[in-house]
Order: sequence, then structure tokens, then C-alpha cells
Amino acid sequence: MDNKEQRRFFEEVIEHHKGILFKVARGYCLNVEDQQDLIQEMMIQIWHVIHKYDDRYKLSTFLYRISLNVAISFYRKNSTRTKKCMELNEQIIETLVEDKLDIERQLNLLEQFISELKEIDKALMILYLEDKNHTEIAEILGMSVSNVGTKIGRIKEKLKRQFLQLKS
Amino acid sequence: MNDSELIKLWQTTNDKLEESIVINRENIEEITRVKVYSILGSMKPIKIFTLIFGILWVVIGTIVLSSIYLYSFSESNKFFLFSASIQVGLTTIALFVYLYQIITIFQVDISDSVIKTQEKLSKLKISTLWVTRILFLQLPVWTTFWWNETMLLDWGILQWVFTMFFTISFTVIVIWLFFNIKYENRNKKWFQLIFRGKEWTPLMNSIELLDQVEFYKDQNAST
Repeated sequence: MDNKEQRRFFEEVIEHHKGILFKVARGYCLNVEDQQDLIQEMMIQIWHVIHKYDDRYKLSTFLYRISLNVAISFYRKNSTRTKKCMELNEQIIETLVEDKLDIERQLNLLEQFISELKEIDKALMILYLEDKNHTEIAEILGMSVSNVGTKIGRIKEKLKRQFLQLKS
Repeated sequence: MNDSELIKLWQTTNDKLEESIVINRENIEEITRVKVYSILGSMKPIKIFTLIFGILWVVIGTIVLSSIYLYSFSESNKFFLFSASIQVGLTTIALFVYLYQIITIFQVDISDSVIKTQEKLSKLKISTLWVTRILFLQLPVWTTFWWNETMLLDWGILQWVFTMFFTISFTVIVIWLFFNIKYENRNKKWFQLIFRGKEWTPLMNSIELLDQVEFYKDQNAST
């Protein structure tokens, strides 16, 4: 692939799969400015390794791996960023509890729950909510399929308990 | 709320928001002009600079010290000579850690699986602990390099007690730190006290992340 073709391929990838970048960024940070920085960093990394893409594998797997690796490394560089996002999130929730519709409140509770998860659990939860099958999740994260099932089950249990707690 | 409701809740909202995302074309073009960049890009220049500076220091140090050992050993100040030799030796070891880090930086593949990549990145960051241990180990020689043979004749008891107190305490403390500053002691209070503060945040986060990676790997092995 020459530089021109690579550039065109990159533009296509970004245009058609921007949702992956956005969803991962949203899962790791709720502050809009930080999300934008993170998406930009993901795009730079995708451009940097796009020549390594092997079309025998799913493009989404390739993109999820890069986006999640960048998001986790972004967190590691600055934990205060994560704290800031969580504080902001809590503020939004308080307002919504009073004012907004039930569905939005549930979505915010879900986002808060995700933001409180540990980094790799967070990746697992995002992929689960994206309705990825266990085999693809295992391939993206690099874990066994049975371990994916066990971990998702545990995280869901925790989430259900939190939803019930907040309802009561 | 059941599984399908949960997934639907996440996806419908994201789908709506996704439609509204517009990625700036100019931004995309700008990114394609960035030729050399990696997630560890910021780590490379400082490490390469340190490595070059360190190599120069070791080469010059070795030349100077070797010539003293070979040609003027009997007239030389042995305290200075042995202290400087230890310092140059420890710097050489630190250089190998830097070399390992630079090689690892080039080997990290961001498109590899999350657990594998994060394990490599965390271990890379945690290897900074080795540099810290070696730097600590150099401290006692900075208390001895200025000693000389006339001190043995001229100094009184009080001066010796004072000087030896510093050198012996430094030696005991740094040897203890050398053997104890390690990943396994990450939860000890003294460890967290030394590595407290903003500049150590990425290191502590890496330790925390490596814990998660190890946990996942253990579970992989048992399933």
C-alpha cells in the first residue's frame, strides 16, 4: 500500500468506524474535552499502525484493540483526569435525578457504573454493551472465551445490585 | 433491568450521538502528515538523551579511571578512585535498564491484544523502579569520594564519628531500599510514601494496572 492509498484507507476507516472511537472514549471519560483529546490520540495511533492491518481479520477487532489500548494508557498518564470526569458525572446525575426522564437517569447510572470499573473490566463492559460475542471479546482483550463469560457474569451481577440499590 | 434492555439502553443513545459526530477532515489530513509518532513517543527522546549522556559519562569515566589504575595507582587517592569506580559501575548498570526500556518501547504493538499490550507497557513503566534502586545505591559513594589519607592522621574522634555515622547510615538505608523497592512491596506504607506525588502517578497507575493484568492472566490459566 503506497502512502496515497494508505491515506485514503485511513480516511475511510475513520469515517465508517468513528463510532468505535467515540464509544470507547465515552466509556473511559465523560468530559467532552477529554473525549476529544482521546479520540484525536486514537486517530494518531491508528494512522501510525494502519499499515499493519491484516485484512484476514476483522477491522473492528483491530480498531477496538487500538482504541482500548490508547484509552487505558491515556488514563495511566493522568489519573486526575479520570477523577475529574467522575466528579462531573456525579454532578450530572444529581441534576438528572431531580429533573430528567427515567431512561436518561438509567443511562447515566450505567455510565457512572462503567466509570467506576477498573480499566480492563471497563473495556470488557464496553465490548459487552456493544453486543460483541465472547469470541471477539476474547480476541480483542487477549483472554480465554470462558474467562470472558465468567467476568461478564460477575460485572453484570454487580451492576444489577447497584440498579436495585438505587431504585430502592 | 435485563441484559437486552441494558444493551439497548447503551446502543440507542450511542447511535443517536454517533450520527451527530462530525470528524474534521482537516484534522484527519493533519494526522496523516505526522510521520513518526507513537504512544510512547514522549518517552523516547529523554531516554535516548540519557542513554547518550550516560554512555559518554561511562566512557570518559572508564578512560580516566583506567589510566589511574594503570599508571598512577600508588600515588592516587584510593577513596576517590574506589568511590568513582563504584559510581561508574552503577551508572553502567542503569544504562542497561535504559537500553531495555528503549528496546521495549520499539517493540510495543498498540494493535496487539489489550492484556498483552498493557502488560508490556506496565512492566516498562515499572522498570523505572530499577533505575530508582540503582540511583539510591550510588548515594554512599558521594559521602566517601572526598576522603583522603591525611584525614586518617589529622581527624579527631568526633569528626570520624560524625562522618562514619553518615556513611554507614546511608549504606544501610540504601542497601535495604535496593532489596525492598520492588513491585511486591507496592502496598507497603513506606513504599507509597516514597512514590507519592504527581511525578510518580503514572508509575503507581502502572502498578495498579499490572495487578489487574496479572489477575486476568491467572484467571485465564485456571479456566
